[in-house]
Amino acid sequence: MILCVAIVGQQNNPLYLQSFAGGDDVLKFHYIVHCSLDVFDEKASILRRTGTNLNDNFLGLLYPAEDYKVYGYMTNTRVKFVLVTSDLELKDLDIKTFFQRFHAAYIDVTSNPFHVPGKRIASPMFRDRVKTIVSSFGQL
Amino acid sequence: MRAGSREVAESCLDGITMEMVATYCDRLHSSKPDLAARRIEAIGFQVGQQLAERYTRDRPRFTDHLEVIKFICKDFWAEVFKKQIDNLKTNHRGVFVLQDTRFRWLTRISVDSPLTPSEANNTTLAAAQAGGKYLYFPCGLIRGALTNLGVPCAVSAEIAALPACSFIIRIKV
Repeated sequence: MILCVAIVGQQNNPLYLQSFAGGDDVLKFHYIVHCSLDVFDEKASILRRTGTNLNDNFLGLLYPAEDYKVYGYMTNTRVKFVLVTSDLELKDLDIKTFFQRFHAAYIDVTSNPFHVPGKRIASPMFRDRVKTIVSSFGQL
Repeated sequence: MRAGSREVAESCLDGITMEMVATYCDRLHSSKPDLAARRIEAIGFQVGQQLAERYTRDRPRFTDHLEVIKFICKDFWAEVFKKQIDNLKTNHRGVFVLQDTRFRWLTRISVDSPLTPSEANNTTLAAAQAGGKYLYFPCGLIRGALTNLGVPCAVSAEIAALPACSFIIRIKV
């Protein structure tokens, strides 16, 4: 089950966080996402050194913990997407597809002329779309 | 073009870019040309940021500045203007000159033909001045795209003879 998805901006500023775990643990997820940012930097710089063809947007598993796993995806514009899941057996391809759809939704919401770049995303339509993407995860 | 993507007639886009210049330069800020230029550039900047996000969706991350500039010259230009940049020059110290011999947004612009040979020189000058206003937006567009891709820079434009023009990109270190 997907516990939480989040978007972090270029300056590591939180842009969006949505929890699916139920209950009041948004703060915990903010903490998890914040912890993953160092791994983002590390992975991106390693990939840059080792070669160009490995510079994929999908960064794979960032770090595992006892009861959840954190996956990451970084775009060309250094916007970071984070997925926290409680499933321990997941196919990389599924996660990659999920991130691509999530990214597409993000592109559409930021193309709104009333959206201010670098500000938190508050669009209810975006929230619904993310919900749909999350609920259809793994069923493709 | 993706299936199901929505399209807009090019004449509408031409119309809106020209009307934007007319609104800001002649009506809203007619006494302050610098302010009008900044306003139009800011609009271009935001659009450039959005387009950069969209057009780089399915490509691996860029490793250096030259790759980003090449992306602007080839793919970005092809998406926005349906052609590639004709000539790219650089001094290898952070300055790039992008030459377009037929810039799409200048092809519909013309100046009055000279009445006497002595006015012919003034015409090229007038063309540069009149066309210059229409390049604030594309300058902002390029700067927005580059900034969003991690290349902070300043962009200016020059018109030699319509519809050719060149964009000068200075990367901030």
